[in-house]
Amino acid sequence: MGIREELQRLDEELDMEMARAETLANIEALRVRMLGKKGQLTALLRSMGALSAEERPKMGQLINERRERFTQLLDERQQKLQQLEQEMRLKREQIDVTEPRALPRLGNLHPNTLVLNQVVDCLTGLGFEVVEGPEVELDLFNFELMNLPKDHPARDAQDTFYIDDNVVLRTHTSPVQARIMTTRKPPIRIISPGRVYRADEVDATHSPVFHQIEGLVIDEGVSMADLKGTLDAFAKRLYGEDIQVRFRPSFFPFTEPSAEVDLTCVNCRGKGCRVCKNTGWIEVLGCGMVNPKVLDMCGIDSKKYSGFAFGVGLERITMLRYGIQDMRLMYEGDLRFLKQFR
Amino acid sequence: MKVSMNLLKKYAAIPVTPEEYQSRMIMTGTGVEGIDDLGEKLQNVVVGRVLTCEAHPNSDHLHVCTVDVGQAEPLQIVCGAPNVAAGQLVAVAMIGAVLPGGVIKKGKLRGVESCGMLCSGPEMGVPVELYPSVGDEGILVFREDHPLGTDVREIFGLNDHVIDFEILANRPDTLCVWGVARETAAAMNTELTLPQITVREADGDIADFARVEVRDSDLCPRYAARVIKNVRIGESPAWLRQALHAAGMRYINNIVDITNFVMLENGHPMHAFDLDKVRCRHIIVRRAEPGENLRTLDGKDHALRGGELMICDEQGPTGLAGIMGGEESEITENTREVLFEAAAFDRTSIRLTARALGFRTEASGHFERGVSPATVLDGLNRACQLVNELDAGDVVPGVIALYPDPVCQQPLTASVARINRRAGVEVSGEEMVRILRKLCFDATVDGDTLTATAPSFRQDVEGEADLCEEVLRYAGYDLIPSTELKGAANGKRSAHMLQNDRLRELLTGLGYYETMTFSFLAKKKLEQLLLRPDDDRLNALPLRNPLGEDSAFMRTTLLCGVLTTAATNQAHGNSDVRIYEVGKVFDNAHRTAENLPTERGSLCLCAFGGGEDFYSVRGAVELMCKAVGAEYEIVPAEEPYYHPGRQAALVFKGQRVALVGEIHPEVAESYELSGRVYAAEIDVDALFAAAEPMGHVKPIARFPAVARDLALVMQDDQPVGPVMTAMKKAAGKLLEDISLFDVFRGPQVGLGRKSVAFSLSFRAEDHTLTDEEIVRLMNKVLKTCREEFGAEIRS
Repeated sequence: MGIREELQRLDEELDMEMARAETLANIEALRVRMLGKKGQLTALLRSMGALSAEERPKMGQLINERRERFTQLLDERQQKLQQLEQEMRLKREQIDVTEPRALPRLGNLHPNTLVLNQVVDCLTGLGFEVVEGPEVELDLFNFELMNLPKDHPARDAQDTFYIDDNVVLRTHTSPVQARIMTTRKPPIRIISPGRVYRADEVDATHSPVFHQIEGLVIDEGVSMADLKGTLDAFAKRLYGEDIQVRFRPSFFPFTEPSAEVDLTCVNCRGKGCRVCKNTGWIEVLGCGMVNPKVLDMCGIDSKKYSGFAFGVGLERITMLRYGIQDMRLMYEGDLRFLKQFR
Repeated sequence: MKVSMNLLKKYAAIPVTPEEYQSRMIMTGTGVEGIDDLGEKLQNVVVGRVLTCEAHPNSDHLHVCTVDVGQAEPLQIVCGAPNVAAGQLVAVAMIGAVLPGGVIKKGKLRGVESCGMLCSGPEMGVPVELYPSVGDEGILVFREDHPLGTDVREIFGLNDHVIDFEILANRPDTLCVWGVARETAAAMNTELTLPQITVREADGDIADFARVEVRDSDLCPRYAARVIKNVRIGESPAWLRQALHAAGMRYINNIVDITNFVMLENGHPMHAFDLDKVRCRHIIVRRAEPGENLRTLDGKDHALRGGELMICDEQGPTGLAGIMGGEESEITENTREVLFEAAAFDRTSIRLTARALGFRTEASGHFERGVSPATVLDGLNRACQLVNELDAGDVVPGVIALYPDPVCQQPLTASVARINRRAGVEVSGEEMVRILRKLCFDATVDGDTLTATAPSFRQDVEGEADLCEEVLRYAGYDLIPSTELKGAANGKRSAHMLQNDRLRELLTGLGYYETMTFSFLAKKKLEQLLLRPDDDRLNALPLRNPLGEDSAFMRTTLLCGVLTTAATNQAHGNSDVRIYEVGKVFDNAHRTAENLPTERGSLCLCAFGGGEDFYSVRGAVELMCKAVGAEYEIVPAEEPYYHPGRQAALVFKGQRVALVGEIHPEVAESYELSGRVYAAEIDVDALFAAAEPMGHVKPIARFPAVARDLALVMQDDQPVGPVMTAMKKAAGKLLEDISLFDVFRGPQVGLGRKSVAFSLSFRAEDHTLTDEEIVRLMNKVLKTCREEFGAEIRS
């Protein structure tokens, strides 16, 4: 049989085998049979030694054309089968993605911590440095340097936990301010978050242990307008741009003038609701200009420097933020409560 | 403080609605808690005259009346009261009237139409204080004449509002009607119309009636007294009773009512003594002797400890100064002569006495807040003026006035510019003067210099800052603009806060929930931990005045609180629990330089259920150590509250950083915990002291690691931790990692022995390790294990 006939036969054989091939293995076997080292087309190529010098290039070209064609056909077929096989595997591997499974366990911070972090982020952003101090505190720092002399009614045992005549559980975080004022020189710009203690029986809105965040700024030429501006920025960052700040005259021994600060009710955004008793305002902070007597007692020249201070109850703003009705929930630690926060 | 709005309006006009008034007062610094409309539950009830009164055709007890209420036609009203009669002046509830019991509607009573109701006192809810004959049986019959159609609220004083003022601690001068009238006049910009105090005196001389001696003037800076003779005890007029009623005070008789009214009106608590009952008519103001006794007006006996300020006569106490008078010298129907006392007492002394004796009165409340000595005589003379007005007796000429050390207000000078700078506003000197004068200050301005003298009743004004507040209150807090703080400052969290933040963040990722408990401790809960007697944690700091036994000490450990929280969760049916608390514990045994207890940062975690075991909880603690770069060694621990065989300490250079263990079953039971409960305590300060701050990163290794496994047979009770520590040490720097992958016990390795399999991984930074190097290192490791722990390679 001549090479041409042989090639034709191979064409037919390939077509026939291709039609039968169903797996990648079939294709691979066919490739070996045709194009392998011992394959039929390879053998044909080898047999060209017997041809004449004129015939050889012609036949060579024909064989190479076959080789290219065969390779292309086999590759195409292989690709198709591969794709098919992939599809079948993927189909086999299908799972029920709606089937519920146990989640990895994730804990969370206490709601007080969540809100404290917001407050601290906001105030450190305004240049305040966090400073902490002891919870069991000297009367000197808690009261006397805060212009709460011995006969002040707020010092009655009904409000203050005493250790002895000179040591108390701090009733506010102001003693941290006193400690800073007596040891640092202005400018001072600090906040002191922490636990404070008042001899109140536990109920839905009272707790003998709670948290405060107090701020203090002392520098030359600090005014009540700076105080308002700071609290304005604080309120807007914490609760949104539409929140307004309102100052009302008040009294604290360590500030003069003093103010209670109302914010636009965060629940109804000022329209009036149960939370704000339909006034559109909620009382959130106490503040004022540091009493010059306090500055002088702490060794800061009240002629040269002025400053402001403010204090906010962490539980109060946390309860407002999350609509918590009973403060006891915050100290009970029931996971059904704690798991709700995010 | 509750005040009748009608009474207040006598002294300062209020030309706005109650709501506007409330808002204006709040914004000028006088808190108003609420305003009650007294007449809200009594509307459309008017005075009427019964013209005719006939028996009801279908009833043996009802009457059909015609009643003239001043309208064109009389009304037909059916009335069931037995005392109804023609000619009476009565209270008529018209159709649509509001009574405490409901609204009156037109109706038929046994077939006869009734266009209203004739009311009894109780039906109108009128208290007997306001109109004495409301207590009579049947319908109310007015005893005096009133125009027909008059709203009965005017007669009862119920056409009034009661304002509940919230008085600031620094403003005791506003704890009275005149005080809030001054603020009202300033806030409303209306005239202040306080009465002129004049006293009409009879004949005689007070020196012939009484003597007063103040022995302890440190507690009684001013004492004044006047005497009323020919006392005519009787009932006070309606206006006086109504004013007292609105303020929540009881009415007693004209003399006592006058003293209470003066306190209500101008803030001076007064007392009236029956002068005949004051022995030798000699008042002595002195401290009590220990063992003295007094029965007060309310019939209670008080044993005095000594030192309380008393009003005495020559034989002993007759009143608790500033708190309550004695029963003996009480005003009675038979009182002939009265001594009025007005004084200023030391606020601290009054407060301490009232507290020690366990009762407060309206008077002691005033004194505790501070009563100005300067205005004592105003109170006394006002009482005498009211005696004149009520014709309750004759005022004896002369005043006993003891005031050895008169206080007078000093003028203050201030700078207009500084006041404005402090407040951040622009108010002119002239406007400041106007505001201060409105507040009864004596004020002038000359250029920048503001000179002001506070009125005698203001004891709170001490300097420029106080003047600033007065000006700002009336210029308006709303005037203050918002400005940004000048100057840059570097805001940051404290190191301590950052440490706690880091641990909280890790624990969140580890599935733990943060909890908070009180910083107090019950001794019982501490004892339940079974601590050894010499344990410092038993030496907790006690509070002098705790709320109760459960909160009598400051916590020395977080464990009690966390275990209690765990028990709460168990009781509430939460089965898989991971919780922690981070906070301060108070080490009373180690004192600071200021002799305060040392406050340590501590963290306590607790877990149960959910596949927890000792190793999972220890793992959480180890991860925290690793995360902050604290090296540690694990050694067995011996805390009495943990399972003796399941507890460990994590130690760094001899310092215990953390404890972890399974709670001892006995302790768990006493905390009402069931099942296995695991806990860990971390000394946060020690943890961060052991923490190594991160330096530069190491280059990624370019040479391959070589892994070797090693199975050792050792005594079963040999802890693996120290073996691994020794192996690491023996292998040196080239050992990259070592881990335990199997522990096996069985006959193959012998009784009382175990096989422990380790995987070791070696790597050098600068070359590929050779087989010889590995063999040498493995031999070193094996030798150490053999020599130190008697371990043999498993064949």
